[in-house]
Amino acid sequence: MSSLFGNILKGWTDYTKGIEEGGHHEYEHMWGMVIDLDKCTGCNACSVACYAENNIATVGEEKYVARQSMQWLRVERYFDEPDIDPGAIDDENAMQERGASFLPMMCQQCNAATCEPVCPVAATYHTPDGLNAQIYNRCIGSRYCANNCPYRLRVFNFYSYTDENGAWPEPMKQQLNPDISVREKGVMEKCTFCIQRINAAKDKAKMENRQVTEGEVKTACQQTCPTQAIMFGDLLNPESKVTQAWVRQQIKLGKYKQDRENPTLRGYRIFEELNTDPSVLYLERVREE
Amino acid sequence: MSEAALKHLSETQTKDIDENIAWAKINRDVLRSMENPRRGYWIAMAISVALFSVMIYAEVYQYIYGMGPALLNTSHMWDLYISTFVFWIGMSHSGTLLSAILHLVHADWRKPIYRFAEAMTTFSLMTAGIFPVIHLGRVWNFYWVMPYMTDRGIWPNFRSPLIWDAFAITTYLTSSVLFLYIGMIPDLAICRDNTTGWRKKLYTWLSLGWHGDDRQWRNFRITYLMIACFLIPLAVSVHSIVSMDFAMAIMPGWHVTTFPPYFVAGALYSGCAAIITLFILLRYFFKFEEYMTFPILDKVCKLTFVIAMVWSYLNLVEFASVWYGHDIPSKEVLLAKAYGPYAPFFWGMIAFGMFLPFALLSKWVRRNMKLLFVVSVLLNVGMWLERWMIVTPTLSMSYHPWGWNIMWPGWVEWAMVGGSFGWFGMLFLIFVKVFPCVSMYEVKEMVFHRKRTIYEDVDEMMVLHKGAPTAVEAGSTKNGGS
Amino acid sequence: MNQSKLDRRQFLKGLGLGGAGVALAGCDLPSYVTLEQGEENVISYLAPNEYVIPGVGVWYASTCVGCSAGCGIHGRVREGRVLKLEGNPDSGVNMGRLCQMGQAALQHHFNPDRIANPMVRKNGALVEASWDEAIALINEKSKSGKAAWVTGTISGHQRVMAQTHLGAIGGSRHYAVEQINANVWKTACKDIINDPNPEIHLEKAKVIFSLGADFLGTFISPVHFAASYAEFRTPPRGTLIQAEPAMSLTGGNADHWVGIKPGSETALALGVANALMNNHGVAGNGISNATKTLINKHDPETVAGICAVPVGRIEKIAASLAANSPSLVLAGGSATGNANGYSAAAAALMLNQMLGNIGTTITAGRELAYPQLDLVEGNSANLKDLAIDANEGKIDVLFVSGANPLFLAPKSLKMLEGWNKVGFKVVLSSMLDETAEAADVVLPLASSLEDWGSHIPSYAKGTRNLALQQPLMEPVFPNTRGFGDVVLALAKDAGAPGLDDYDDYYGYLRSAISALKKTDSEKEWNGFLMAGQTQIPSLGRKLSYSDGKITPTMNDSDDGNLTLIASARMGMWDGRGANLPWLQESPDQISKVVWDSWAELHPKTAKSLGIKDGDYINIKSASGEVTTRAFIYKGIHPGAIAVPIGRGHSALGRYAKDNGVNPLSILNGASDSKTGEIATTATKVSVKSAGKNKQMAKLMEIDRQHGRKLVATISADKQRRTEGGA
Repeated sequence: MSSLFGNILKGWTDYTKGIEEGGHHEYEHMWGMVIDLDKCTGCNACSVACYAENNIATVGEEKYVARQSMQWLRVERYFDEPDIDPGAIDDENAMQERGASFLPMMCQQCNAATCEPVCPVAATYHTPDGLNAQIYNRCIGSRYCANNCPYRLRVFNFYSYTDENGAWPEPMKQQLNPDISVREKGVMEKCTFCIQRINAAKDKAKMENRQVTEGEVKTACQQTCPTQAIMFGDLLNPESKVTQAWVRQQIKLGKYKQDRENPTLRGYRIFEELNTDPSVLYLERVREE
Repeated sequence: MSEAALKHLSETQTKDIDENIAWAKINRDVLRSMENPRRGYWIAMAISVALFSVMIYAEVYQYIYGMGPALLNTSHMWDLYISTFVFWIGMSHSGTLLSAILHLVHADWRKPIYRFAEAMTTFSLMTAGIFPVIHLGRVWNFYWVMPYMTDRGIWPNFRSPLIWDAFAITTYLTSSVLFLYIGMIPDLAICRDNTTGWRKKLYTWLSLGWHGDDRQWRNFRITYLMIACFLIPLAVSVHSIVSMDFAMAIMPGWHVTTFPPYFVAGALYSGCAAIITLFILLRYFFKFEEYMTFPILDKVCKLTFVIAMVWSYLNLVEFASVWYGHDIPSKEVLLAKAYGPYAPFFWGMIAFGMFLPFALLSKWVRRNMKLLFVVSVLLNVGMWLERWMIVTPTLSMSYHPWGWNIMWPGWVEWAMVGGSFGWFGMLFLIFVKVFPCVSMYEVKEMVFHRKRTIYEDVDEMMVLHKGAPTAVEAGSTKNGGS
Repeated sequence: MNQSKLDRRQFLKGLGLGGAGVALAGCDLPSYVTLEQGEENVISYLAPNEYVIPGVGVWYASTCVGCSAGCGIHGRVREGRVLKLEGNPDSGVNMGRLCQMGQAALQHHFNPDRIANPMVRKNGALVEASWDEAIALINEKSKSGKAAWVTGTISGHQRVMAQTHLGAIGGSRHYAVEQINANVWKTACKDIINDPNPEIHLEKAKVIFSLGADFLGTFISPVHFAASYAEFRTPPRGTLIQAEPAMSLTGGNADHWVGIKPGSETALALGVANALMNNHGVAGNGISNATKTLINKHDPETVAGICAVPVGRIEKIAASLAANSPSLVLAGGSATGNANGYSAAAAALMLNQMLGNIGTTITAGRELAYPQLDLVEGNSANLKDLAIDANEGKIDVLFVSGANPLFLAPKSLKMLEGWNKVGFKVVLSSMLDETAEAADVVLPLASSLEDWGSHIPSYAKGTRNLALQQPLMEPVFPNTRGFGDVVLALAKDAGAPGLDDYDDYYGYLRSAISALKKTDSEKEWNGFLMAGQTQIPSLGRKLSYSDGKITPTMNDSDDGNLTLIASARMGMWDGRGANLPWLQESPDQISKVVWDSWAELHPKTAKSLGIKDGDYINIKSASGEVTTRAFIYKGIHPGAIAVPIGRGHSALGRYAKDNGVNPLSILNGASDSKTGEIATTATKVSVKSAGKNKQMAKLMEIDRQHGRKLVATISADKQRRTEGGA
C-alpha cells in the first residue's frame, strides 16, 4: 500500500523541490540537441529517416490536406528574412533575392514542458533522462497535450493505419522497427529523441559497467543528415559536443531569458520566452548581406 | 389557449400566482400534465430519439474509424466536442441558480419553475458528461482518469485540469441528482397517492415512505437546505474548473485570468435563457398558465438581463486586458476572431450575447410569448457560439504560425452536437411525463404565504395561523390538500 | 510454394559457396514448412547461428542504387528483416550520411506493388508464367534480330554482364538512359579541361557561383556535395550565389539567388566575365581572343537586358568572385537544360579559368585502371536515340532494366510508336512501371537489398573504389531473381564464352573481384563485404584548358508564352520514387507540397493570368498538355513556369498511379546542340486557369514567420566577427 501512495508522495517531493530550486536537477542524463541552421539545407533526409526509424504512418493526400499528417520531424520553409531584409517578401513583383530559410522542428523536449502537467493520465511525463516521454499504452487520447504545445509538435493517430489499406500493406509491415510500438488509433505520439537507441546504449553501457559515452547514441535524423547540421548528446556530460556548443553559445537550461556576455552569438531556443525550457538549441542561419 | 385569451392574460396577470388557487386544483393540474401524452409529445420524442440515434451511429463510427472523420487536426485537437461540453455545463447552472441560490435568498417566485430547471441541470450535466468521454481517442479507456486503486500503483495526473473536471462533474452531477430527488420526495408521495399500476409501485419506492409528519418535514427542510448550501459553491467551482481547462493552458486567448468568473457568468446566463425557453414550452403545452405566470417570467427575464450584463462586462474586460496586455499572440487571436474567417460567428456571439438581451428590457417582448421564445433560443445560440469562439480561434492561431489553419467540423462532430440535444430532449421528455415538473408542495406553500401577506391584518394572521393548516402541513398529502 | 523453396535453397547454396554467412543474418528465418511434412527442418530461434541474436540488430554494408552516386549504406538486420538503412561511414562518397531517397529504399524493397512472378504477353495481355517458360521464350526470340539493351547508369560487373549478354545475342546498341544527369557539364569538362569528372572542391571555395547546378539536390553526387557544402559553410564561411530561373534546393540555400530568364545563363556568365575583366582587372589567362571578344560584347548593361537581372547584381557577383579567391563556378540543372546548355557549362569553365580555380577548386579526377568496369553514364540523349532507332527499325529485340523510357520520353519523341515497332521486348524490373507494362516478357528482379552487385560511384575524390552491393535479407518475393543472376543465365544460354564456371552471379562476382584484387582469401573477401567497398587501381588525370565553344544566342521568341521548366527534385527523382509513400509524403523542399504535382508561378504572372494558389491550370505545349495546381511564390522568373519531374505515372503501383502530372511528356523535343541532351527548360507553353481550385496538400500554408523568432538570421560579417575567420 505504501508503494501505491509512494508514487504520489515522491512526485510531490520532486515537485516542491523543483519549485524551490528552479528546475528538477536529479537527472541521469539530459539529452539535448544543437541544430545549425546555417548548415541545414532543408533536404528532408532527417524527416524520412524519422519515418523509417520510428514506424511513423504515412497518411495520404486526403488526410494530409486535412492536416492529420503524422510527421514527428518537419522541415519548415520560410521565405522571409525579418532580421536582414524585412520588407523583401512584401514586394509582389520582385523575385526572391535569397534562398529560403529551413527549420527542422522536432519535439523540443522541454524541461518545463507545457504538455506534461495537462495530461489527465500522466501518459506524458519527464524521464530521468530529461526527455519528454509519451507512454502510448497509457494515452487515452484526450489530446490536451497537443493543444498545449506551443510548437505544435505532437501528432495524433486520427485513424488506424495498421490494416491492409493503411500505411503498411503487406509486405511493408516487415519493415516496422520492433524496438518501438506501432501506435493504434487514438494515441498521441511525438519525437522521442530515438529513445529506443538511447535505451539500447544505456543497456549496453550498464552491462559493460560504464557510462554512456559521447557519440554512442545517434538519433536517426542526426545520423542521416548530409551536412551534419544536427548534433545530439548528453548535456550533463561536460565533454560532449552539445554541452560544448551550449557553453560556447552561452545558453543555459532553466532560464527563459539568457543574459549572455556576447549577444551576437548564434544560439537561441525557439519560444524560450514562454519558459518551456526546450532542450534543442538552434544556431542562427547566416547569410551574406 | 386562444390568442385573445393569451393577450388578455398578459395584460391582466399581475401577480406571481393567484393566491386563491385551490390546493386540490394544483395537484390535479400537475398530475394531469403527467398523463396521456398527446401527439405533439410523441413527435418531439421521435425527433429527440432520432437525433440521439444519429449520435449513437456517429459514435460507433468514430469508435471504429478514429477521430479522423470529425476533421480534427494537428492544430485543432479540440473543437465542437469541447465547446459543446462547456455549453452544456453552462446550461446546468440554471437549476442551481433557481433552486439553491434563490432558495437561500427566499425568492419565492422561483417555486413554480424550479423543478424543471433542476431537472434541466441534471440532464444537461448528463449531456455534458458525454462529451469529455466521446472526445477521447481511446474512449474505451476513459475510466483511467479516475483515481482507482490498482496493484500497479498508477494514478491519474492530479495536476491536469481534465482530472479536476472529472471530479467536479461527477460531484456536481451526484449532488444535483440528490437535490432534484430530495426536493421531489413530497411530490412523489402525492403522485403515489393518486396513481395506480406501475406508477404507483415506482412512486412508492421512490417516495421513501413519506407521509408528511413533522419529523419528516423537519429533516427534509434541513437536508434540502444543506444540499442547497453545498451545491452553490459546487456550481461556481464546476464551471471555474471547466474554465481552467483553458485558463491553465499556455495558449493565447485561453490563458486568461478572468476566465473562471467569466465562465460562471456565461453559464448562469445560458442557463437562464434556457429556463425561459422551457418555461414557455411547458406553459404552452401543459397549460400551466396559472403557475408559470407572466410576472414570474418577467422576473426571470430581468434576472437574465442582469446576468447578461455581467457577462458582457467580463467579456469586455477580457478584450481590454488582452489589448492592454500587449501580448502579441493573444492580440492576434483577438483580431483574428474579429476579422478572421470565424468573424461571422464571433460577431454573432456579440450580437446575440451582448445586444440581444436588451430586448428583454421591453415589456412588450416579455409578454410576447413567441418572440420571447425566439429571443431566448437566440441567446443560447449566442452562448453556444461563445464557447466555440473560445475553443477554436485560439487553436487556429496559436504561437507557431505553422499551425495556423482554419478548420470546419466534420459530420461526426455535428452529429454529436445535434445528438446531444436529442439526448437532452429525450431525458427531459421522459422526465415531464414521469415526474411532476412543477413542485406541487412548494406552489402550495407559495399560495399560502402569498395569502398570508395579503391579509396583513395581524389578527387575521393569528387566526389563520391557528385555524388553517400550517405551512409545514401544506405539503401534507393525505387528502390532497385543503 | 515449391518454386519458392527451390529458390530459397539455391540462394542458401549460393551463400554457402561463398561462405558468406557473415553477409546474411537474414536467411535465418524459421521455415514455414512443418516437421510433420518432413520436408525441412524447422530452425528455432532458440538455437540460431552464433551471429544471430534475437532482438539485436546487426549491420551489414551494401551500396545504395537510388541514383548513380553509389553511396555506401549499412542495413540494420534483425530477425531476418532489414529494418533501417544508414550511411556507411567508411564510404568516401557519403561519409555515413544518406539522403531521403536512400532512406526510402526500404520501401522499394518492401513495396506491395513489386512484381512477384515472371510475366509473358499472351493474347495481348501480360499473364504470369514460370521462369522456365519466360526464359525459354527469351532464348527463342533473343537472336531473332538486332538486339539492344536499355539500362540506366550502369557500372561494375553488371555492366560487364549486360554487355556480355548483348554481345552473345549479337547486339551492339546499349542505351544508358538517365533523365537526371550531368552529361552536359561532364562533356564540357571533358572537352575543355580534359577530364570528364574532375574533383570539385566546394569546401575550398570562398565563393560558389552556380549556374543552375543543384549540387545539394540532383547534381552528380548530392550527399557528397552536401557534406562538402557543410565544410564550405564552416567559418570562414563561403558565399553561395545561385543563378537559375526556378529555385532548386541549392538555390534555396543561396546567399544570393538570382532569378534569371530561362536560357540566359551563358549571357550572365559572360556578363560576369566582362565585369571581372573590365572592372576588377582579371586578366583572363588562357582565354582565347575569340572568347574575349565575345566577353567584350557582353557588358553588364547588355547582359542585364538579356537576363532580366539588374546590372548591380551582375557587378556584385563579379565583385564577390574577384575579391574572394579561390572561388568555384558550376553549371548544371536548368542552365544546361536548354538548346544552349553546353555553352553555359563552357562559360562556367571559362570563368573558372579566369579566376584561377582550375587546379585549386577544380582538380583532376582519377581514371579507373579497368575501364570496362567504369560507369556507362546514362543521359537523355540516349533516350532520344533510342526513340529514333526504334522508329527507324534498328532494334528488333530489346532488353530493358533500370530505366523507364516510356515514362521519361516526351510525346514528341514518339517513343511509344518506336517501342511498338520493336518485335520483342524484355523488361527486367522489380516494379511494373510504364515500360514493363508494355513489354512482352517481364522478369521480376530482386530488390537492391536482395541482390549482389558492384558499382562505381559516379563521383569520387581521391582513390577510386568499387562499391559492393550484397543481399541484406532473403527475397521478400521468393520468385524474384537478381539482375546479375538473370543476365548471367541468359548470357550462358546465348552461348557467351567463359561463364560456364559460374553457377550464379555471386560466384561470378566473387571470382571477378578476387581476380581484380589478386586475392582468394576468404577473410579478405569478408573484409570487402564488411567495408562495403574495395579500392581498385586508378590513374591520375591531368587538367588542361582550352576554350569551349560559347554561343550565347538565345532562341527566344517573346510570344507571351511562358517557358516550361521540368525541374528535377531530390525525392521523386526521375519518377522512380513515386511509389514510395515516404517520398510521396516527404514535402518538396521548396514548395512543401506532398502527394501531388504542382506548377510554380511568379505572383506577377499568376496575377496577370488570373490564377490563385491552388487553382488548377492547363499547361499546354505544342505536343500536349497537363493540368495541375498552381503554387505561387517568388522563387521563379516571371517568364517561367516550373513543374517537377517524377509524378504523373500511369503505372508503377498504387501510390504512383494517377498521381500528379509528368511535365516531360509535353516537352517539345528540343535538345542541347552539342550533347543532344533533351532540353528541359526550352519548351514554350501557354497557361490558363482550368477553373477549379482545391487546397493543395502542403506541409505549410504560410511562408513567413509572423514576428516569431523561428529562423533567425545574422549577417555573415557578424558571424565572422563572433566566430572568427578560422
